[in-house]
Amino acid sequence: MPVSIQFRQALGKLVLPALILVACGVILLGKADRGLIEKLRMNTADLLAPAYGLVAWPQEKLRWVSGNLQDIRNLEAENIRLRTENASLRHWYDVAAALADENATLKANLHWIPDNAPTFVSGRVVRDTSGLYARAVLLALNPDTAVRKGGIALDGAGLVGRVTEVGRRSARVLLITDSSSRLPVTLESSHAAAIMAGDNSALPRIIFYPQDNVPIEGERVVTNGEIESLPAGLPVGHVHYLRPGQPVVVPAADLDHVDMLRVFDYEDSVVPPDAPGRVPLPAGGGAMPLPAHPDQGLHG
Amino acid sequence: MKTFTPPPIRPGIQPRSSMGYRIDHGVRSSVPFLFVFFATLVLSAPLNLPGQVELMPAIIMATIFLWSVFAPVLMPSLAVFVLGIWADILSFGPAGVMLLMMLIVHGVALSGRYTLARVNFFILWLVFGVVMVGVTALQWVLCCALALHIVEFLPFVFETVLAFGSFPVLYAGFVWTYRFVVNNADGA
Repeated sequence: MPVSIQFRQALGKLVLPALILVACGVILLGKADRGLIEKLRMNTADLLAPAYGLVAWPQEKLRWVSGNLQDIRNLEAENIRLRTENASLRHWYDVAAALADENATLKANLHWIPDNAPTFVSGRVVRDTSGLYARAVLLALNPDTAVRKGGIALDGAGLVGRVTEVGRRSARVLLITDSSSRLPVTLESSHAAAIMAGDNSALPRIIFYPQDNVPIEGERVVTNGEIESLPAGLPVGHVHYLRPGQPVVVPAADLDHVDMLRVFDYEDSVVPPDAPGRVPLPAGGGAMPLPAHPDQGLHG
Repeated sequence: MKTFTPPPIRPGIQPRSSMGYRIDHGVRSSVPFLFVFFATLVLSAPLNLPGQVELMPAIIMATIFLWSVFAPVLMPSLAVFVLGIWADILSFGPAGVMLLMMLIVHGVALSGRYTLARVNFFILWLVFGVVMVGVTALQWVLCCALALHIVEFLPFVFETVLAFGSFPVLYAGFVWTYRFVVNNADGA
């Protein structure tokens, strides 16, 4: 169709404003329908995950080699350190064994219900998706593994984060340092409950701790079982004061170089029972289904 | 009776419009697009470079700015839009913010190109810095508004400074590409 030059010029001038409007639309769409954008991103990440793995592999090898070389250099000092540490660990092993025996006896006497053993899958971190406003990593997974949203990611030393999005071959783990991460924790020596709030820095803050029971420098921080899917007692880190009145958690996990993660599924760990006295019961229904065999109750 | 056909206006000067020529021309003129495309892809890979996250917007913005000023034919609005969507998919920030920033940089460069293409390099650099400050401030405001809380300001300052600092390097690369890859000055 022949169009006049003026018309074509006018049309050409309209393209950019139209595209800017579309961009605003995309922003609104991203806010309104999060799932769509997340799905698109996870699908792309799934496609690119093998390539990312390929990039990560030589880096890991290089780090391994350089670590080995350093080890060789420090061999003697390391040996001395390990010997002393081994001696002290032997002592602690005896203590732990005695305590485990005692614990077993006490539990046997108290009809203690053991916890479910959680299932877990391990995966390699293929990409750090931390941006200006997020601290998160992308985990490569076998397509057959059942990782669910809300899974708990741990490395060898402590809590790393929670699974927020799951694709077919990858999962995104929101780190505990992310500014939208809020986790209920227990401070082990002072027995205070608090919230650990990430702020995109390396050290998440401790907030909402009782004012008459302030955190003690150096005490251990563990998770507390206040929310579902996160059991009590997972190691998180220890308390440190940046300045008076500002306690932070130094994470036990190495959050700068996460390369292998275990994702635990605690989904059905502890489900609070319904409260039939306060909630109206549905007609003819059991709002609180009782187990048919009492001895298969919680862990059967 | 034979009809009279007028002679061609410029006789003799005709580009070889063979298949090879067209492919060559097409690849040469898509170099800016491909550069931004692959720069985004590579910088989203886990290279563990320091400041990698902030480097991506810096490189994208400077490249789009330069090509929009000097050769908007090779960096049309639609291409910027596609690149914006691509950058948004590969980063995990709020959706569409990166896209909007890129379109604004492109728009500013496009509207001022008759002035900007003639000015001294240092003035161009300064103008880019001002544009970058504005765009990053917009990004920060949008991020705060979309996250419903004040996000930390320093990474955005870092992003601006990095973009400002990497501009001369990208300018040199741009000049070289423009002269020897797109226009093929040393060739036939």
